[in-house]
Amino acid sequence: MTAGNVSTDEAAPKRAAANDHHPVPLSGGDARGQLPAGARPARNAIIGAAVIGYAWILGGAAPFSTRALVEVLLPGAVLGVIAYARPPERILAPESVDAAGFSYWIIAIALLFEWEASAVRDNRPWHPSLTDLINPLIAPHPLKTAAIVVWLLSGWALVRR
Amino acid sequence: MSDWTITVIGFVVIVAVLVLLEILARRKIGRIPTLGEWLGFVMRRPVGRALILAGWLWLGWHYFAR
Repeated sequence: MTAGNVSTDEAAPKRAAANDHHPVPLSGGDARGQLPAGARPARNAIIGAAVIGYAWILGGAAPFSTRALVEVLLPGAVLGVIAYARPPERILAPESVDAAGFSYWIIAIALLFEWEASAVRDNRPWHPSLTDLINPLIAPHPLKTAAIVVWLLSGWALVRR
Repeated sequence: MSDWTITVIGFVVIVAVLVLLEILARRKIGRIPTLGEWLGFVMRRPVGRALILAGWLWLGWHYFAR
């Protein structure tokens, strides 16, 4: 670990530099000779339509139903299979992050969890939890669909990390 | 000001701070990592990757299956 930084591996930067033979970042194009993602509009449109369609279907599932549970678990399973069997071109993760800068995130997220925990513990209408506030906002089917699309896209973004 | 309002303001302030951190990180002000950078850093290890993806799956279950 270097001073001020959080690092997982001291030798990793040297290895990464030694292995970096690509003139362009791997995330921008594809080192295996494929076109970059932005150059496949028809394929992207089909995938986009499928994601929105799936989100619309999931958004219509009744809460606490088996169907809703399965339709939430299915994308997780699909992403898991993709990540394991055919991982996409990954965005290179930093070798280290600044400890102080990282701590700001941790403090803010800890505050969020603390605020949420106090609301859940009180369980009173005048002290709503984040869930109590968000659920009415995403109750309309189109908004729930949009929220699910964001969730699915964030899952894909995580798999690429 | 009601307790409900105070609670909501608390959430809004915290979310605003998170958004501000991301803006500062993207503008390279200070040495704050972006959300993607520190998530990528955490996910360098399999345990971190599993926890982050489990958290993502839990969010989906919590908001869309319940």
